Amino acid sequence: MEIDGFDAEVLESSRDKSQSQGVYIYQPTQQGKGAGERPSKRRKVASTDASEEPKNHQSFAPLLNGDENAECVQLRYDIYKQLWSVQKQKIKGILEDVDAGVLMDVLSFVRNTSPQTYDPILAKEPETSALVTVGSNVSSLSRLLSRLNDQLAATGDGGVVVLESGDAPNLKTTLKNIIRAAVTNTEGNDGYQKFLTDRAGPRLLGYDLDLLHDYVQRKGTKKLVLALRDSEAFDPGLLTDLLSLLRSWLDRIPFTVLLGISTSVELFEGRLPRSCASLLQGRHFEVQEAGNCVDRIYEALQADLTGRLWLGRNITSTLFERSSDFFQSPEAFSRMVKYAYMSHFFANPLAVLLANPASTMLPQLRICEAIRNLPSFRMFCEDLVQAGFSKEVRGLLEDDQYLLQQTSKHLDTNQQKMRRLFQVVLVIHACLQHTQSSKKTSVSDLSIRALSGELGESPIVEEMLATMKTLDSEKLMCLLNSLPRALFNDAHFSAIQHDIQTLLQTYPDSGPLRSEYNTNSSVVKTTVVQQRVRLSKGKAKLPEQDLEYTKIIDRLVAILQEYFAEILVNPQDLFLHELFLFDLRNPLKETFAPRPRFAIERALASPFDYLFSSFDVTEGKISAKQPATAILYQLYLESGALVNVHDLWQAFYAVFESDQGDSCDERVVMTLFYGALSELKAFGVVKNSRKKTDHLAKSAWMGL
Amino acid sequence: MKRKLSDSGLENDQSLASTPKRQRKTLGQTNGARNGHASNPPVTNGDASYELPRGQSTPKKANGVTATSLKESGLKTPTHKSKARSLFATPTKPKSVAAATPTRAKNADRSAKKKSARVLFEQDEDGAWDGSERLAEEILQDDDAEAEKLGEPVTDSIEAGAEQPLAKDTKAPKRRAGRPKGARNKRSPTPEGELPAHERYFFQNRAGPVKTSNMTLNKVPLLTHEEYFEKLRQYVDPCRDEKEYLLALHHRSFPQWSFEFDEGFNICLFGYGSKRKLVQQFADWVYTYRGVSSTPPAIVIVNGYTPGISIRSIFATIATAVLGDELPAKLGSQPTEVLELLQSALKTRPAHEEPVTVLINSVDAPPLRRAANQALLARLAATPRVRLLMTADTPNFPLMWDISVRDQFNLVCHDSTTFSPFAVETDVVEEVHALLGRKGRRIGGKEGVGFVLKSLPENARNLYRLLLTELVSVMDDGHQSDEEAPADGTGGKSPDEVGIEFRLLYQKATEEFIASSEMMFRTLLKEFHDHQMITSRLDASGMEVLGVPLSRDEMEGVLEDLVLG
Repeated sequence: MEIDGFDAEVLESSRDKSQSQGVYIYQPTQQGKGAGERPSKRRKVASTDASEEPKNHQSFAPLLNGDENAECVQLRYDIYKQLWSVQKQKIKGILEDVDAGVLMDVLSFVRNTSPQTYDPILAKEPETSALVTVGSNVSSLSRLLSRLNDQLAATGDGGVVVLESGDAPNLKTTLKNIIRAAVTNTEGNDGYQKFLTDRAGPRLLGYDLDLLHDYVQRKGTKKLVLALRDSEAFDPGLLTDLLSLLRSWLDRIPFTVLLGISTSVELFEGRLPRSCASLLQGRHFEVQEAGNCVDRIYEALQADLTGRLWLGRNITSTLFERSSDFFQSPEAFSRMVKYAYMSHFFANPLAVLLANPASTMLPQLRICEAIRNLPSFRMFCEDLVQAGFSKEVRGLLEDDQYLLQQTSKHLDTNQQKMRRLFQVVLVIHACLQHTQSSKKTSVSDLSIRALSGELGESPIVEEMLATMKTLDSEKLMCLLNSLPRALFNDAHFSAIQHDIQTLLQTYPDSGPLRSEYNTNSSVVKTTVVQQRVRLSKGKAKLPEQDLEYTKIIDRLVAILQEYFAEILVNPQDLFLHELFLFDLRNPLKETFAPRPRFAIERALASPFDYLFSSFDVTEGKISAKQPATAILYQLYLESGALVNVHDLWQAFYAVFESDQGDSCDERVVMTLFYGALSELKAFGVVKNSRKKTDHLAKSAWMGL
Repeated sequence: MKRKLSDSGLENDQSLASTPKRQRKTLGQTNGARNGHASNPPVTNGDASYELPRGQSTPKKANGVTATSLKESGLKTPTHKSKARSLFATPTKPKSVAAATPTRAKNADRSAKKKSARVLFEQDEDGAWDGSERLAEEILQDDDAEAEKLGEPVTDSIEAGAEQPLAKDTKAPKRRAGRPKGARNKRSPTPEGELPAHERYFFQNRAGPVKTSNMTLNKVPLLTHEEYFEKLRQYVDPCRDEKEYLLALHHRSFPQWSFEFDEGFNICLFGYGSKRKLVQQFADWVYTYRGVSSTPPAIVIVNGYTPGISIRSIFATIATAVLGDELPAKLGSQPTEVLELLQSALKTRPAHEEPVTVLINSVDAPPLRRAANQALLARLAATPRVRLLMTADTPNFPLMWDISVRDQFNLVCHDSTTFSPFAVETDVVEEVHALLGRKGRRIGGKEGVGFVLKSLPENARNLYRLLLTELVSVMDDGHQSDEEAPADGTGGKSPDEVGIEFRLLYQKATEEFIASSEMMFRTLLKEFHDHQMITSRLDASGMEVLGVPLSRDEMEGVLEDLVLG
């Protein structure tokens, strides 16, 4: 696959013509230039054998220095597909669930408003427009629209025509686009062409709404939803024209206009002339903000009882940082999660173990070597040695078979630990719903703490337990009932619940039981000691049942503490966490939030960061060995806000002169100078200055 | 700057011979100065031990400060500075004197003097603020003879030493203490040490007159296209192997990119250097990798930097690649129409068929940069079974996309710095000349215009002569009023700015019987337009203003040829 330097040059020369071409279809260079075979012809030949089975290509490259066998690669790919498709399904479900409310509203609105309700005598305006406020959740509208379209199309009622501001440069084009979109929605592109040509009578132009009228009559369309995705971006004048025109056709074409608004209805209305705003009789729908949705998705992905791979704390914090700081849509969020999954299986050869493969399939030697090189393996071994199991460690180090066996065993138990970890996170979250009054901590916050192993000692949990002690029996029962069922498999918990219930039954008349920690049950005494008032808290005398209750509460808190301490381990300490916990911040962050300016500045300011150089590089020194643009950029960095080109050129030349001595050709250096200067200009860091002749103005400062 | 340059040449030649001599001389001066003003020699002993290490250390510091890479060019001459420091060690002495007779006011005066003297002498290295300089001058001015004596030889030995060592003695008595004219210009724009980015910004943008030299490129022959390419061929890139290696590294990512494509992402490559070759190799790779067992994939390559490129043509080509012979004869004139055709075509294709791969070079190049174009590309990217890989060259390209466009693009970005020159993407010579305000280079400058004029009829030549005469006279007028124009008057303000109104020129042309009708006048102008010999723009009031893309010198040259020829 590699094209060596020589070939590349040959290719380069043959491509000279393609450089100046704006756009062209790629022609493989392996074929002779004389062949001149059109891609269409090739396609014809190919189409005869295109019926053969879809090929089973491998998307993954073999890892472990290329020694990974094909089965493993395939297995990695399969397990990725399998895991992700499960998660994808979950995300889809959540999104649909979130949208469902608005969708139903909009759908019923669309169904129920009909031009027939328009009463010409009373001149009562029909409600024909819906205003959908989207906010930052931009992608939700397209989701909504496509589902609306599906619903309408399924029942044969009609369809949705989506219009973007780019589609509407003027009225004619807009109408044409509307008509074409409406027809192709059901008939396809050919159908539209046929529809245009195959008709009796005079041929109508593409923007004649008679066409649409005809179409509506033929299809028996009851609803034609015209959705303007980015309503604010439309030209107000055009919008006025369009709406009034649609209004006049309303008795023949059943339009319903749907306006997507990202700001607010008032702002949108303010931009329109009053005549236009009065045409819009409609209802207002609000789409849920993205943040909530993202939290739900995260919870579903991580705290699943069958989960096999988890996202670490770095990734979690990156994900939430992005979705809160950058108005990220839920889709973008899930795409980032997807990319994290992709990275894990693409680049981690040990990820294959998540598929529980038969050990015979594995290239044992390399896999075992890889396992033994894991940091967590070393930690595990050290712990074993300290615990006195040095024999077992020897076994792990020397016996491949034993190692694999142990690996799969520990993988299972540690995955189980992760699952329980997230169960605890959910438990805490559920408890917090009852103990925290104002600000509710989200699952993601708790997860980040849990994933870094800090949740057990965190103030949140301590506070929660403290508050729990003060709860009365009613609230406590409420809390216990809201906890996940899985918890009550534990004998202690069921015992506690049982005890409380019996206690309540024994004292049915005493109302809610209070523990001694409750503020109501403590009394404040005031005594005057040496002319000063001293406040002292003392316990009020509690009835019998409350003392009983306090005991139970103490037990519960103790059990919870124990439970938390046992389960809330730091995932990074688990053996094999590299396999089931993906926590590399970098591929994700750099891929989705690139810093191109930083990259370019770095490349130019210290080019040898990128160019692995054979000659010795003196730090921070400009030399002729560097690429010309890098030299010029560094000189540029040294200069002030205004740069004299002549002096810049002299300095640039001096760099080469001092390096090459007499053999330095000034004109060659000048060509380099030209090239470098033009690149700096293309990057937008210099521009012509009018202050002085032959001066440049600096327009970018590195690092700002 | 000029002075120093010429001096440095001289210095390089005889540096060995001259420097020791000067050093001796200055040493003598130091002693003289010491003896001249130090009333009590015994103290020197005590001071000497203190001074010596200082004298030793200061040159080091000065070296450190001024050791920019420009040293070789002779723009900076650290030797003088170190000398200046060691010379100026003398004023420390009064301290001991003052210690003997302590009066507060005197003490304060002395220290102020000391400080100001230091400010004046250190201005080269430290780039002191203007205010402190002025204050320092004032303090030194109302100084007594002692300080005069002290200051004078020192300044001269620095400045004159830098200029012309021989003429020093004759000049010295005339010059007042303080800095000589133009010394302020030498303040280095490079701040001392490592400043944080924002400090550096304020440092380089501080108020005050422009402190650059007045040199222009008039004496430097600029490159023509031919020479540029000819010389470029001679250049051997010292980093060739490293760049190849870098490219090979990116090569390894191809499977990853392909996987990302498979998973529905589009790719954006950024980083310094032309990525055209990389994209081309990726196309090769995709073709060979996919083409083994099944239909060859449709790959469309777009060069975003091509001046006349339109989105519609891109879409049309993609549609051709997808549909082949089934392409309808009429595609529609709007890009959206073509896009929708493409989308519906892709929808109806059998599922096992390869998706179409679109590779866009320089998606942030000016022809594609407009928001409308980017929005259309985003819609293309969002189409299922279209894989889009694009490369972006500029540092701030993500600003092109708003949130919804970015959402549609669904990009994963990879840093693929290649360090390859943008040979094809930019017209280097043209760009540089535009940057320098010398647009007319395209037609070959003065020679080119002259050549074209020779082939034009008498009338056209006369019109051009008229145009040039008017422009030159406008420029002359402009100079009288324009303060900013440099005194030498060779450059003038950018020729783009100077222009003559269309109406006015027409009127003059009719007066001189060059053109009898506007029609004819326009025909003549069109000829100039075709050869890019004139520029036309609309001014603020909507008038058409005609100009000539030549520098003033060239205009005068052409005019001379026209009048004489």
